[in-house]
Amino acid sequence: VSEARFRIGVDVGGTFTDLVLLRDDGSVLLEKTPTTPQDQSQGVMDGLARLAEAEGFASVGELLAATRSVVHGTTTGDNTMIQMSGAPTGLLVTEGFRDEIELRRCFKEDIWDPSYPAPEPIARRRVRLEIPERMTAEGDVDTALDEEAVRKATARLRAFGITSIAIVFLHSYVNPAHELRAREIVLDEYPDVELVSLSHEVYPKPPEFERTSTTLVNAYVGPPIVRYLDRLEQRLREAGLERELLIATSAGGVAAPAAIGRRAVATIGSGPTGGVVAAARAASAAGLGDVVSVDMGGTSYDVCLIRGGRPELKSDWNWRHRYCIAVPMVDIQAIGAGGGSLARVGSGTLHVGPESAGSEPGPVCYGRGGTQATVTDADVVLGRLDPAGFWGGRLTLDADGARGALGRLGSELGLDAEAAAAAVVTIIDAHMTDAVRRVLSLAGADPRRLDLVAFGGMGAVHATTQAAALGMRRVLVPRAAPGFSALGLLTADHVVDNARTLLSDWRQVDPDRLSELADDLERVAREELASAGVPDDRMQFEWLLNLVYPGQTFDNALPLTRAPGAPITLDDVAGAVEEFHRRNEEARLIEARSQEPMVRGIRLSATGLVDRPAPVELGTTSDPAVPIARRRMYASGAWHDAVPVFDGDALRPGPPIEGPAVIQSRFTTLVLRPGDVASVLANGDTLVEVAGV
Amino acid sequence: MAISESGQLEAELIDPVTAEVIRSAMETICFEMATYVSRTATTPILNQSNERNATILDGRGRLAALSVGIPQFMLSATLPVRFCLEYLEGDLSPGDVLVSNDPYHGGGHLPDFNVFSPVFAPDGSGGPILVASIQCHHGDTGGALAGGYNVFAKDIWSEGTRYPLLKIVEAGRERRDVVLTMRTNNRLPGFIGDLRSQVGAAQLGSRRLGEIIEQYGAETVKAAVDWTIDDAHRRFSEEIATWPDGTYESDVYVDSDPAGNADIHVHVAVTVDGDRLIVDFDGSDTRPDIQAWSTFGNTRGYTISQLASLVDPSIPKNEGFFDCVDLRVPEGTCVNPVEGKPVSSGTHHPGVEVGDAIAIAMSQILPDRCAPQTYKYGAPRQMWGDLDPRTGKSFFDHGGEVNAGWVSAVRDVDGWGALCASNGNLIKASAEINEALFPHILRGRNYLTDSGGAGQWRGGCGSLFVKEVRSPTYVNQYIVNRVHTHPGIAGGENGSPDSCVLAEGTDHAVEVAPTVAGAKLETGERLVYRFGGGGGWGDPLDRDPEAVLDDVWDEYVSIEGARFHYGVVVTGDPGTMTLALDADATRDLRAELRAERTDRAEGGE
Repeated sequence: VSEARFRIGVDVGGTFTDLVLLRDDGSVLLEKTPTTPQDQSQGVMDGLARLAEAEGFASVGELLAATRSVVHGTTTGDNTMIQMSGAPTGLLVTEGFRDEIELRRCFKEDIWDPSYPAPEPIARRRVRLEIPERMTAEGDVDTALDEEAVRKATARLRAFGITSIAIVFLHSYVNPAHELRAREIVLDEYPDVELVSLSHEVYPKPPEFERTSTTLVNAYVGPPIVRYLDRLEQRLREAGLERELLIATSAGGVAAPAAIGRRAVATIGSGPTGGVVAAARAASAAGLGDVVSVDMGGTSYDVCLIRGGRPELKSDWNWRHRYCIAVPMVDIQAIGAGGGSLARVGSGTLHVGPESAGSEPGPVCYGRGGTQATVTDADVVLGRLDPAGFWGGRLTLDADGARGALGRLGSELGLDAEAAAAAVVTIIDAHMTDAVRRVLSLAGADPRRLDLVAFGGMGAVHATTQAAALGMRRVLVPRAAPGFSALGLLTADHVVDNARTLLSDWRQVDPDRLSELADDLERVAREELASAGVPDDRMQFEWLLNLVYPGQTFDNALPLTRAPGAPITLDDVAGAVEEFHRRNEEARLIEARSQEPMVRGIRLSATGLVDRPAPVELGTTSDPAVPIARRRMYASGAWHDAVPVFDGDALRPGPPIEGPAVIQSRFTTLVLRPGDVASVLANGDTLVEVAGV
Repeated sequence: MAISESGQLEAELIDPVTAEVIRSAMETICFEMATYVSRTATTPILNQSNERNATILDGRGRLAALSVGIPQFMLSATLPVRFCLEYLEGDLSPGDVLVSNDPYHGGGHLPDFNVFSPVFAPDGSGGPILVASIQCHHGDTGGALAGGYNVFAKDIWSEGTRYPLLKIVEAGRERRDVVLTMRTNNRLPGFIGDLRSQVGAAQLGSRRLGEIIEQYGAETVKAAVDWTIDDAHRRFSEEIATWPDGTYESDVYVDSDPAGNADIHVHVAVTVDGDRLIVDFDGSDTRPDIQAWSTFGNTRGYTISQLASLVDPSIPKNEGFFDCVDLRVPEGTCVNPVEGKPVSSGTHHPGVEVGDAIAIAMSQILPDRCAPQTYKYGAPRQMWGDLDPRTGKSFFDHGGEVNAGWVSAVRDVDGWGALCASNGNLIKASAEINEALFPHILRGRNYLTDSGGAGQWRGGCGSLFVKEVRSPTYVNQYIVNRVHTHPGIAGGENGSPDSCVLAEGTDHAVEVAPTVAGAKLETGERLVYRFGGGGGWGDPLDRDPEAVLDDVWDEYVSIEGARFHYGVVVTGDPGTMTLALDADATRDLRAELRAERTDRAEGGE
């Protein structure tokens, strides 16, 4: 039996599938292969073949035999929602609540546009069928389940060609008996049904709209995701994988395929989480406190706040693909801003993005037929990107083409090409700065107390300008830029985040009932972590109490401190309530304490800790870095001549580099403005002290 | 230095790129202010339903930027600030935060509290350069009845306490005397906390605007505001210039005011004159004894909001819109009351009918984009009782639950969702959580078949809302849209009417017409509210018969409704999965219906 000494991260992106092989000594091997959209598992196998070859194995089988785990991030769920190509889905609901999914708590995405269209339906009204049954808010049966109605409805859905059925009954999170019985009947009546999603299993919380929408999406994407994972797992097993396959979730963790099969919805939005997890690790390694991570690629700019070393999670009011997906997700906000963002003049104003030239045709300077100026073109004209050194020289940029496009754009504004390029960059920087501010304001965080972690192909080009505009003192640019997201998957912990509902004035809360719910949560979490191979001593449990002031709808999760192994006491609850008051007082709401909070439920965030790779240590040097070139560059509103250019891949910890300067690596370029000071850290990441902050 | 309205001099002071960056930053600041309230207020309508409206104004009280909220109310937030800038000229200092809610000093109605803070140059010299303002709806205003909606009030003083202008924070120090006075005049324990949340938001906005003035300089920021206002003005007036000149009129009615005075009348004449609009409400109701009054500021907000829905949604919403419109609202009409009239319910009715009237008038020339962006709520329903048997306590249910109604179709888009787009930021309360808070069971709120106005594009359906009480409960309810229903456009039919019945199905059922106050429901009795549908767009006989068949499958439309309203013959039975379109019969029926129409028109002449 060969020794299992590797871990492999596979991150499927829109264009490329990134693979990272992590060796026991902490070193990594990166590979890239085109994504195969029809069946992503084909690209995964292609990439594994490349990894095997690069690592000197005769076959994928040998590599997999020596592999401890494969961690996989898939966009199958997101693609299913983008194409609206999920399973034919039907819905059984409590009588009177057939239209929740259309009513959407009255929400509409655009309040100024009466022509804004309705979302494409997952289940049209004809396949949303009502069942006489009703629980009260206390979980008592008000109206018994009409079993005959369930049978008839199932037959009808079947006649409509439905293969996946969601069941959403009111207050099922308090008493799931009717949903459970309804599933039995459905399975009895329609044994071939692909999937039955029960709302209390997908999202065991009020309110009904969020639960309905989440359960419907789960029913819709579940079958294609399960089919895909089955296919992938089969291929891997056949190729020789003996140990675990783990799937990335939108909560920034990983889970076993069997757990994903029950809650496929938890993979939606998981694409960018790997990078955020890696950014959090990089920030901790660099000794930074709370940070904002920004991922700027070709089309999108993803922003995430990382406090206390962990990405912020958000539940409830998460909107993706025009549906509310309420399960906890890493709170990544994306705007349409990237290297490919298109610049145009409309109504006398310069607009940049959100439309993107994408990778085909891409920016003008790619020479693949693009004619409209992009941000990348502007960065070329401004001397920030090296036409010869882009992507390690794999792509030579057409600087004249970029200049021509900016010249044409500028002529509409009375500007020359260079002034137009500066204007394009000013606008996109402003959009990105505003995006960061919005994310931070939602979390009540002050940018001046945070540092910035920048990654993605374009992240480091614009990062120092961003940081200065936001009043952030430091910028961290991690070295493993291209495979960053895949690497993040390997360092992601198992996360099982569930909640149980208990609605009560906090003083009247029944501690025995709360303890029962907690025991149930812990049992489920332990089972799931154990099934994914996590030993007991690697499990961590964080207890949270969901509280609201009277009338609030969205839950506030407060830490619930309890003695390990002991039942929850009223004192424990009082402690959480006190913390709730304290936080509100901090926000200057001195009247907060005059209100009696309500308990809405208990939440357990269970973590199965993954072994961290040992950090790489680069040797230090006392010699100043030597520039490989000098060029004219625009930064901080002015042109600078003979700006030194350094080879980032060759830099070692040593004397700092002061801007204006450019640090050019194979997959990314770091622009230093006048006064910015960059230091290479022992692990190869670069930390910049930002000037003027 | 004089800065022209036309943008001639600004060109020298500011480049469009800097102007765009500052405009975008101001919108972000509005977002930050609104978000601050969401995070810190404790009242659900503020922290969750999005009824908080952040705006930035310039030193002359002109609207410079706004953010998430309710369009009609965002656009009505300027006049209280303008009053303050004029009234307290020379008496404002850095660090001041002011509060006002008076409908006769720029406001809409008493529950809407404006909190705002002027921003000065870094050295404190000169007058205010910008003002950060946040408007929120509060759950009580003092006065004769709890809840801020005394629809029975005969005058404004019975509705609550008026605050035309108070400095709640003076040069950075909270004024304890003012806080005490306001606390004393309000029933809700959370009132001051919510007000402080607004104060914090205004201070945040003021600080951030100060940073921008410091970074770019006061003159550049002023020029940027002028530029963005001129930009909106220019783009709005360019659209107006493409509209045919002429005067377009309409008449719209509210069934009755809460006191039962029937047919509250809003008349509008919109004149397109080149690139300008004259919007004149002369001819609207002048009966002095009615109780349906929309203040000037409220009328102005609904006017501009409806006009904004007619044009490119990407035009920045700011004073440039107001600059294109000559608004004429004679004092003493129901849309500009003389001081002292009660206004709490008039904010909604005839407030929303202002929007309806403009939509209908403009549909004569702009049918493709016209849809009333309004609702027919009457006033918020209140239900309360002395005992929730589960807690042993009394309860007060402000309602605000999800319902569907009055979503009009526009060309190419059937009415969809629950409310019109401009109310789409109101996140409404859920059944599950309200049932835990109050002793009732919601029996349903499904769409009502055949309730959406027929049209080439169909109005959104209304809904059947059934609330069953679990202990004795009292009800206040005012209802409109029973007679004058939500209008169709361009040949589309009106939506179905609203109705509300208490204790439906018992021998003492009561239909609300138009009000009940303190009506009692016994345990197990139901309030049954049928919300009306939206108006249709275009001739229903032009609707694609396949779309009608789909509507029948989905029970938005019945087989009979398809035949009667759309001239579409659907055969078979949904129960046996045999619905089908009879194309020949449909063609014949439609020809017949068209001929009948012609006969009717000729017969009528």
